[in-house]
Amino acid sequence: MISDLITMNNNNSIPPTPASPKPVAPVSEHTAGFSGYFPTWCPGCGNFGIWQALKMTFNKMKFDPDRLSIVFGIGCSGNMNDFLWANSFHALHGRAIPNAIGIKIANHDLPVVVIVGDGDCYGEGGNHFLHAARGNHDITVIVHDNRVYGLTTGQVAPTASQGFKSKSTPQGIIEVPVNPIALAVSQGATFVAQGFSGDMNQLVELIEKGVAHKGFSLVNIFQPCVTFNQINSYNWYRDRIYKLTSENHNPRDLNSAWQKSQEVTEKIPLGVVYDVDRPTYTDSLPQLSGKPLLDSALNIDLAQFINDFV
Amino acid sequence: MIDITVKIGGEAGFGIMTTGLLLGKIATRSGYHAFEYSEYPSLIRGGHNVIEVRISDEKVYSQQKQVDILLCLNLETFNKHASEVKEGGIIVYDTEKIPESKLNKPDVNLTYVHVPFVSILQEHKLSTVMLNNIALGALMHLLGADLNILNAAIVENFARKNQEIIDKNILAAKLGYEKTQKEMPQGYKLKLPKLKNIIPRLYISGNEMIGLASIAAGCRFYAAYPMTPTSALLHYLASQAQNCGMVVKHAEDEISVINMALGASFAGVRSMIGTSGGGFALMVESVSLAGITETPIVIVMGQRPGPATGMPTWTEQGDLLFVLHAGHGEFPKILLAPGDVEEAYKLTITAFNLAEIYQTPVFIIGDKYLQESHQSVEKSIIEGYKFKIDRGKLLSQEELSKLTEYKRYLITKDGISPRAIPGMKGSLHQANSYAHGEDGHTSEEADVRIKQVEKRNKKAQTFLMNDFQMPVLYGNRQTPLTLISWGSVKAPILQAMSKFKDKFNYLHFSYLWPLDKIKIKSLLSTFKKTLLVENNSGAQLGQLLTMVTGLEFEKKLLKYSGRPIYPEEILDKISFST
Repeated sequence: MISDLITMNNNNSIPPTPASPKPVAPVSEHTAGFSGYFPTWCPGCGNFGIWQALKMTFNKMKFDPDRLSIVFGIGCSGNMNDFLWANSFHALHGRAIPNAIGIKIANHDLPVVVIVGDGDCYGEGGNHFLHAARGNHDITVIVHDNRVYGLTTGQVAPTASQGFKSKSTPQGIIEVPVNPIALAVSQGATFVAQGFSGDMNQLVELIEKGVAHKGFSLVNIFQPCVTFNQINSYNWYRDRIYKLTSENHNPRDLNSAWQKSQEVTEKIPLGVVYDVDRPTYTDSLPQLSGKPLLDSALNIDLAQFINDFV
Repeated sequence: MIDITVKIGGEAGFGIMTTGLLLGKIATRSGYHAFEYSEYPSLIRGGHNVIEVRISDEKVYSQQKQVDILLCLNLETFNKHASEVKEGGIIVYDTEKIPESKLNKPDVNLTYVHVPFVSILQEHKLSTVMLNNIALGALMHLLGADLNILNAAIVENFARKNQEIIDKNILAAKLGYEKTQKEMPQGYKLKLPKLKNIIPRLYISGNEMIGLASIAAGCRFYAAYPMTPTSALLHYLASQAQNCGMVVKHAEDEISVINMALGASFAGVRSMIGTSGGGFALMVESVSLAGITETPIVIVMGQRPGPATGMPTWTEQGDLLFVLHAGHGEFPKILLAPGDVEEAYKLTITAFNLAEIYQTPVFIIGDKYLQESHQSVEKSIIEGYKFKIDRGKLLSQEELSKLTEYKRYLITKDGISPRAIPGMKGSLHQANSYAHGEDGHTSEEADVRIKQVEKRNKKAQTFLMNDFQMPVLYGNRQTPLTLISWGSVKAPILQAMSKFKDKFNYLHFSYLWPLDKIKIKSLLSTFKKTLLVENNSGAQLGQLLTMVTGLEFEKKLLKYSGRPIYPEEILDKISFST
């Protein structure tokens, strides 16, 4: 299905047109239960593949939409809030990760997934990203990495290749791109994977592993913007990507993960780059060892606290 | 009537604050009322710190200008503050460390007490950090207090240290006490006689009281980024987190602070955050997010003098209008400003209820003066305060299961929609930062927009009908002059009033927004003469009241030096203006 969408041609002069959202029936039994409105993304947008993969993963994992919390950022990716139906919080631009951490602390029994774009997560919210990794907060961050800002009509993202020309950088961007994989690995993330929206089967596998992982997980997904990025197209990625296997990589080995994280131009690895164990933030809090914070009694005997001040 | 102010000064890093705190605590335990005020620069070592404790057998509301006992741990304290000591007062200092030739002694009759702090330390091989206990011992004698109460406080204070450290501190106190006893002239009258009826009181700061109240109110998540004057709230709650089952998060920045709290609140946990002006400025976009997603949150906004970094460790009421207008777009928010620790307790508990009833941000506006000053308050007032935890329209699983359809932003008569939390069966919804319809889905349709804007606005009307409290009038209604103020300025005003009961009355605002325009206007119109008193330069409450009622305030007492208003300044202004 994705390949069909991709072949639908795109004209770079047409900005995404917000269609009037209409509820749609579930696409198939694989995506039942999570379907919202039909997406308003451009035909051929890489987001479609991520959207389908997420729904397939949640069904495969037998999640109940009532008991899954998704935090959406702002951007084309965040607009998935109306297309993927679960208990969700549509955040401010850049701030989805702290919202997700708060939800997890309040109810650590809920799976918490963050759906954000590269500008949202690595630009506006960059600080939150690295601190969430340090804290090993048990949330899964799904980043739509298309190297441009789509919803604001095509400025550079922090992931844009050096020299990329856009409306905000007509002479080409001076900065080198953020390296999401190296950043996550170096800042204490315990699960780091990279996927491609043109390969849904692998995406389902990576998202499932990320969500099942106990601790902070990043799935950085290459997702071509067919409207505003004519360079990093489906074919551009297909010419460079290769899969990580047990023969070419050991995800438990930091050195190997670091090495793979540096492959960003000629050969680009897809798969689980890093996967280690460390106690999660909520597991490290004795207050949460019994039951979720949400279920703790609100009435408390104040005497002991009052007497401290006598 | 007994009314004594003890002022202790010295370099930062010598435990001056602890000395003041223990003194106030000891006085409170002995049955006296106490009020503390401190001044210190934004430094860790060096600089000039002073703390003053006012002790009385009658209720004290604030600090006062005149000092009875000045204890100088350095020369600077002597020369800066000796002139504040009143006729017949006492100055204690270390003659061996502070040379007589450099002293500027005032021209009034004072008793000078020489306590060689440094040589006592050296002689008994005590460390410099114990200097404050020698000072406390000296004060115990001058006040005529029981050394055993100090010893008990030392044992408590060092509960986690070994016996040797406790013993040495107790020795230091004893040496200070005995040395002072020897130095004092014959016939010296002790200042604090033993009281017969000791009423149990707490000695507590505004920060600690807000923390205590949040525990009582069922707050289970507190997030903050350290910032004076609200850091001590973070410290208190962090120290109690495991005892009360709260999660306390020192997040990476204020933007994260508020967004974590909104996440936790969305997921069903009562949440609070604390900051000061600069940190709050970073949070403002998310205040608006709380407004549109209708997520409850309690925000403690401790004011200090700005703009920018300003004067971090000093006090001001410069952010009322900033908080009032914080957040882009239109949405209701509730502003509360406690005037003392008792109000801090009650209003914090109320704030949690209001946040959940109205599903919108509720502010507790404090300042350095209220939040960092300790004061005594009857234990029975706190213990006896009856309240109900009211979670508003938060649905139980049972209530949710009975609904045929759940709509998070359902249009209702009172503007408040039933709230479900993720994880409940049938709770499926989104809290949406985009404009949305009743089901939470994004919508830019004009009619949907209008209905949701009106729904949110309606909450303010419902609040005014059900929960708004009018300002309280203190004093005699028949006096010719009415002072008008808000927040911590209550302290010096009531202090001034305690001496001159028939000169003026005081209208105290602690519910600052939304305001009932009609009621406020008719109340204000009944006053013959008014004097607006505020700890800022812009008369911000005055501006707010003018905005709401159209009434102008001609006479004002405004102070913006970073220092609190003194009762003496209020009385001066009144005698000048009447």
